[in-house]
Amino acid sequence: MLFAMLAKKNYARNLQYRSSHLVHNVASFIFGFVYVSIWIGIGESNSLGEYGVKGMITYVAFNQACLWLTLFITNSLGMEQSVRTGQISLDLMRPVHLFYHLMSKEWGQIFYQFVYKFLPIYFIYFFLFSLQVPQQFSTYFWTAIALILAGYICICINYLIGVVSLWTTESKWLFWVNYAFSMLLSGFFIPVEWLPGVFYQLSMYSPYPYIQYYVTRIYLGYESYSVLLGSVAWCIFFTVLCLAATSIMRKKLEVQGG
Amino acid sequence: MEMRMYFMLIRASIKSRLQYKFNFIFSMLMAMLLNVSEFLMIAFVLLKFNSIQGWSIYEVGYLYSVILLSKTLYRTFASDVHHLEKYLVSGDLDSFFIRPIPILLTLMSQNFFLLIGELLQGTFIILICIQHFHSIGQVDLWIIPITILIILAGSIILFSIGLATSTLGFWLTRVEMLQNLTEDAAMNAVRYPLSLYPNWLKGIFLTILPLGFINYLPALYILKQDVGIWIIGATIMVACLCLWLSLRFWKIGLSRYQSTGS
Repeated sequence: MLFAMLAKKNYARNLQYRSSHLVHNVASFIFGFVYVSIWIGIGESNSLGEYGVKGMITYVAFNQACLWLTLFITNSLGMEQSVRTGQISLDLMRPVHLFYHLMSKEWGQIFYQFVYKFLPIYFIYFFLFSLQVPQQFSTYFWTAIALILAGYICICINYLIGVVSLWTTESKWLFWVNYAFSMLLSGFFIPVEWLPGVFYQLSMYSPYPYIQYYVTRIYLGYESYSVLLGSVAWCIFFTVLCLAATSIMRKKLEVQGG
Repeated sequence: MEMRMYFMLIRASIKSRLQYKFNFIFSMLMAMLLNVSEFLMIAFVLLKFNSIQGWSIYEVGYLYSVILLSKTLYRTFASDVHHLEKYLVSGDLDSFFIRPIPILLTLMSQNFFLLIGELLQGTFIILICIQHFHSIGQVDLWIIPITILIILAGSIILFSIGLATSTLGFWLTRVEMLQNLTEDAAMNAVRYPLSLYPNWLKGIFLTILPLGFINYLPALYILKQDVGIWIIGATIMVACLCLWLSLRFWKIGLSRYQSTGS
């Protein structure tokens, strides 16, 4: 109940800025358009493996829209700002676990971004590039599950970044480092199997492919839903880490503002 | 006198940054990591497929590093022009009106931060590319002064676009989303050859947001010899025109300023 209420409130808060976010959608559209154009250019003189040019366009366009449900969530779930203002001390006193509280709010944000960013951007790409869409209902179902798990992994990672802000004022950089690794290793722009050796290995042993690569592969019908067992394993691992980190930060809390 | 005060403010800004040495080094390393990963993203594609529409990895590296170094100069010397929004929201711009130097110079001296990470990375990539072009006889050493010239002109073009976008804040207050479009998305697009894009997008990058003049058009002359040397003169002229227009626009915007803070 509390989960739904917090998510709903955050969704409603975002509604105030719909028109402003539309400009952001244009920028996001341009980014994706650039990446699609690059693959079209490469596809003119090269074979693009099992994807082909058409498949690669769908791959990049879907990934670009997915970013709004995975990577482009609130930086450190707002914890960095809370530490600066001292709000974190009040948040920790609430009769609800901090992780659950912030996660619930963030799901509201993600749902807002699904409606006002993911859908509009993907629809534009759909009409502009005549994208391939799955024919079976089950593909949509498993893609949705994959996206929810990917969103959860991103929430956990941002929570951990937020926890670090208790010890350094530069935690915002970790958000960008996570962003950089994700861009490189998640298969967002280049499918993971085309990464050079070391980076391929690095990607395979990281949670990043479960944020973008496998989600899109399931959507395109190249991957079975059984790969989601890996997503579940990462979700469990990160949940344990987040709970452990919260218990550590409860022992000693220093805030900058207040 | 005004410039002396500007450099004095910059010195003070650097000193305040260096008070927090760990933060300074950490943020520098992180910025470098971020830029390296951005370049690797396209480098991996080029390593696998060799070229994009006839542009090799070195040529794309040249386009990338010219725009990166231009951006580094712009953000180093005018960091807070990009962050004007926070002054407009808080009303902190008020105090700039009573200072003895022009408001724009005061703004440019705030939070001066030499982007060492970007500077080293951009220089490293461009030197590797130039060395490669030279070794295969694609260019002579005159590429070095011309490259420096286009980087300087490029930083002026980027500064002008940044200033014009921020100036819109005098009417709109919130311009971050717009900056994401006119600066981030545009700079990302021109890291790659403009020939990849449809005419309408190419048109934007050669007129309203003339970032194509920073790296792509000069590279057509320097690396491909597809156009004449006049393109370098055109780049400088575009930079001067952009600067003049943006400063005029800034003056109009400033005259509309109404404090929004408490």
